Amino acid sequence: MRKFFSLGLVRGLLWQILGTAIGIGILTGIRQLLGLAPWKPEPAMVFGALLGAMFFLYGVGVLNDWIRVAAGKEIQEHIDETGLGWRRYFGASLDHKVIGIQYLTLSLVLMVVGGTFALIFRSELATTGMQFLTLMEYNTLMSLHGIVMIVGILVGIAAFMNYLVPMLIGARDMSFPRLNAFAFWLAVPAGIILLSSLVLGGFDTGWTGYPPLSVRAPIGMQMFFLGISLAGFSTILGSLNIIVTIIRQRAPGMIPFRMPIFVWASIATSIISLTATQLIGLSFQMVMFERLFGMGFFDPGKGGNPILFQHLFWFYSHPAVYVFVLPGLGLISEMLPVFARKPLFGYKWVAISSIAIALIGFLVWGHHMFASGMAEYLRVPFMYSTLLVAVPTGVKFFSWLGTLWRGKITYETPMLFLLAGIVVFLLGGLTGPPNATISTDLHLTDTYFIVGHFHDTMFGGYVFPFFAAIYYWFPKMTGRRLNEKLGKLHFWLMTPAFIVLSLAMMRVGMLGMRRRIGDYDPELNFVIDHKIMTVAAFIIALGVLVFLINVFWSIRKGEVATGNLWNSRSPEWQVPSPMPMHNYEKPFEVVGEPYDYGLPGSVYVKFKESE
Amino acid sequence: MKHVVIITILVIASTLLIHTGLTSIDLLPVEASAQSVEIDQLFGMYTWMISALFSLIMVVLVYCLIVFRRRKGETGDGAYITGNTALEVAWTAIPLILVVILAYIGGKSLGIIRRVDPSAMKVKVIAGQWYWQYQYPEYGVTSTDLYLPVGQQIDLLMTSNDVIHSFWVPEFRVKQDLVPGRTTELRITPTLIGEYKVRCAELCGTRHAYMEGLVNVLSQADFDKWISQQQSAAPADPALRGQQLAQDYGCTNCHSTDGSQKIGPTWLHLYQSDVELSDGTSVVADNDYLKTAIVDVNLQIVKGFPANVMPDFSNTLDQTMVESLVAYIKTLK
Amino acid sequence: MEHQHKSSALLLGLLVFGALAVLTAVEFVFALKINLWQFLVLIPLIKAGLVLYYYMHISRLFEADLDANHESYAYKLLTNRIGLWLFLLSDAFIFGGLLLSRINLLGLMRPDLNQVLGLAVTSILLISSFFANRAEILMEFGERKQFILNISITIGLGILFLVGVVGVEWRLAPFGPADSIQGAIFYVMTGFHAFHVLTGVIFLTIVLRNGSRGLYSAEKHWAVEASVVYWHFVDVVWFFFYPALYLIGTLAK
Repeated sequence: MRKFFSLGLVRGLLWQILGTAIGIGILTGIRQLLGLAPWKPEPAMVFGALLGAMFFLYGVGVLNDWIRVAAGKEIQEHIDETGLGWRRYFGASLDHKVIGIQYLTLSLVLMVVGGTFALIFRSELATTGMQFLTLMEYNTLMSLHGIVMIVGILVGIAAFMNYLVPMLIGARDMSFPRLNAFAFWLAVPAGIILLSSLVLGGFDTGWTGYPPLSVRAPIGMQMFFLGISLAGFSTILGSLNIIVTIIRQRAPGMIPFRMPIFVWASIATSIISLTATQLIGLSFQMVMFERLFGMGFFDPGKGGNPILFQHLFWFYSHPAVYVFVLPGLGLISEMLPVFARKPLFGYKWVAISSIAIALIGFLVWGHHMFASGMAEYLRVPFMYSTLLVAVPTGVKFFSWLGTLWRGKITYETPMLFLLAGIVVFLLGGLTGPPNATISTDLHLTDTYFIVGHFHDTMFGGYVFPFFAAIYYWFPKMTGRRLNEKLGKLHFWLMTPAFIVLSLAMMRVGMLGMRRRIGDYDPELNFVIDHKIMTVAAFIIALGVLVFLINVFWSIRKGEVATGNLWNSRSPEWQVPSPMPMHNYEKPFEVVGEPYDYGLPGSVYVKFKESE
Repeated sequence: MKHVVIITILVIASTLLIHTGLTSIDLLPVEASAQSVEIDQLFGMYTWMISALFSLIMVVLVYCLIVFRRRKGETGDGAYITGNTALEVAWTAIPLILVVILAYIGGKSLGIIRRVDPSAMKVKVIAGQWYWQYQYPEYGVTSTDLYLPVGQQIDLLMTSNDVIHSFWVPEFRVKQDLVPGRTTELRITPTLIGEYKVRCAELCGTRHAYMEGLVNVLSQADFDKWISQQQSAAPADPALRGQQLAQDYGCTNCHSTDGSQKIGPTWLHLYQSDVELSDGTSVVADNDYLKTAIVDVNLQIVKGFPANVMPDFSNTLDQTMVESLVAYIKTLK
Repeated sequence: MEHQHKSSALLLGLLVFGALAVLTAVEFVFALKINLWQFLVLIPLIKAGLVLYYYMHISRLFEADLDANHESYAYKLLTNRIGLWLFLLSDAFIFGGLLLSRINLLGLMRPDLNQVLGLAVTSILLISSFFANRAEILMEFGERKQFILNISITIGLGILFLVGVVGVEWRLAPFGPADSIQGAIFYVMTGFHAFHVLTGVIFLTIVLRNGSRGLYSAEKHWAVEASVVYWHFVDVVWFFFYPALYLIGTLAK
């Protein structure tokens, strides 16, 4: 029992409950002192949730060292976590590998939760009329599906960047291990606050939270805004850590163009999330203030401008989608050479393409607002910049083809998911230009065509590469392989079903199906398409279930795989699996190119002999 | 070289196959506006582009997966090729030129669909949660259904009473958001007589899914007939007018006339009754109270009902309309 | 020799302060006479440049690592500096967003604010930056007592700024946050900024306490550098917020 309560997560949760109660109490007390009616649920809940998150962070233990430093006490630079076993994963570990797996677990939990919401409302959508959900319940589940998946993706990419980057560059850990732990554990109460919206009236605005609607929405709306502000802060701190680590902790000889390509992808991603995330935080906080204090930023009756919100919001949320896909595209580039046994074609061009996508991505946000009523003349430049993003993206596709050309290709499960990622991202990418072009977008925007487009890009750029990466690096994490048969079953369940799903989405969208609706006009004759989509969704879920069973089983009983399973040149595979606690006992030096498969006698890294 | 020949043939075949497939199924609603003709041309161009590019990448991909797979017993790595600068430049420059051309075409297309006809008929569109309302200033007519004459450009001048909505008739293609506090504009030239539906295309709250309305495109003669019908149909009796308005403006969505429980207080027995307000005071629902309740919606909230839900009608309903509504409510004894 | 370096460093700090004060005065007078927004954007940029270079020592980011040992103090110091500057870069985006919101919502109007108070709090913050710079220089030369004095003055002035803005300005303003768009913008901008001033004061107080217990030396005083650089950043933000709220544009009716 004592052991249970010594787990960081448990203590954090208990402290969060305490903090929430105290926060509600303090706010009620302040209102009383100011002579206002003491009990007002919304400010009390918001302040309670915020304080709860702060208390969680204290309870889980990520603040302890910083408090010691502030008090002028000494702290240990490196903490030896050997012997702590599985308990490390439930508390404030400073080891980037543990934190990476913690992020990964949280990401899978969020994906399952978000996916379950989708299954619920997809069941409702299978036919016309409202069968078992009220309209408000539908709107809340649909909105939460969106945002929970988004947070799940952010957390998932944090998983891989944190787990892999130090290993790929030969570092012992990230530059700021405590900041790393803090950023992870901040995401947990953020997620809890986000999900608490379900019991606080929900919210009916979609994940985009546009005012004036979001100003009138129930209290659940505030939990959404607060949860995302906190999650955003977590992302910002995480990306700061990644950038500094890549600049400062690289092994000798690892000049920029000799870094693994995933490291380039991580830099590009982190540049965006370090900076642009602040804007979604700001836009959400402004709506929170409008709700709490009546500050009419977006209220035309008070001189406010609803479209200002959209500019602030999309300034982050468009680059955000490149945050979602750049790591996955980087993972494809990282793993494809291993399965093709060939160099990554045009490595330098691929590296630069990630940076180019990140930078151009800052200039396109207006394409979400073509029908919004924003200044007319602004629309055309955004069309040009949006279409421009296709160029560096194309460079990546062509490099993948170039990598496969004249290779010696094998089809283990990771490779299957990489290929699915390429095909599905291709679909997503090709449906981009009609959206980028204003006149066609005026028909497509706010329809299921867009829903199909972004599911294609998200699955192609994140979900499939993410699964590929799990199958690929699972041995590095655990010393065992995931079962190949189950892996292939997962692939064959998920991939065709998903492609059918997204094609059906695009079809009904073009024919008149709007997005974010719980019911649709029977005259449109979409029932068959929707039934197909619902069935497809359940098949995808089945595939994920197979995957989860595989994970739980293989952790204990999977085929032992302690060596260089994939015959990779990458440094982390030159040491045994699971990865040793201190990563590289003997440091290495980079003496060749990362992807020189097929060049006899070539070596990428050379480990120093012991003294 | 052999590879290139085979691939080229396969890409061309695949492009034609996919294009034929895509164009043989219904992917777009009927073209019912001049704008839709222009936009569908662009969709046609994109269908070719998507077919071709999808084929190009997929054929090469599948070709590699088959031809360059590791056969049983084969050892060793693939060919040592790190890149090809000429190819890289080519597949950066050509797409660059292509996207600039696409953007240029897109810009021209935008100009066409936004072409201004100075003799366009103005129609005001006012949306609120969850209704559409149309005013024809040239004729002094208001309506909750949109009637349009075929073949003439319509200049929709749109605003919202509460949150952001969006006007979309799929057969017309173009859509435009309605934003509170400003007027947005949409020009449509209907070309096909028939009945369509406008569907709100920006999530606007609980009943967003049902915020649809009738759009009737008529011949010029039939449209003129409808206009004169509307102009003479306004009932003389204020209470009857009020009843019509309560329907047209969505009041009865939230206020019942038979005593049943809805989002807002029922109108049955309302007039001259005692009303308890949220601040604890009590008032009599006289003429003044009723008028205020319509035009200053959050001033006096009835106890047990939420504030900030009723839309602001102060801009939509003029004095006469308000009085008609009050007259109607008075009849609900 | 060292004595000379110290006095020249302190003198440089004073000269920079002088330039900043002059620029602020020019800004104020210019706004009164010819209200050209381009000029009132140029001056803050110059002020920011001066502080970034001379007070915040941004050039230290580009110093070559003489010691390639990743575990050495010198190596970690540069790593910490990069981390701090990336944090400030990120934070700058919030203030950038607020400025853009102000431009979008108010355009070439400005809220009706008390100019004397505005100039007063601006001066207080500027002077506090001067003392913060002194404190850092003195710590670099190991002058603990002087460091404590100067950092205490900085903190005092920081608190005075908060009293001036939150205590006085917010009371005196002719509008509340919910009254008008001027009110909303004024309170959100000064509120976000004041929150950063508050966290800066807390940070500096922790550094004061630890410094007076002898935790820092001329060779190792990263916390001093970090807190002072953060403080200067908060001042730089105000360089842009001050004209945006008080100087640029014509009075809203």
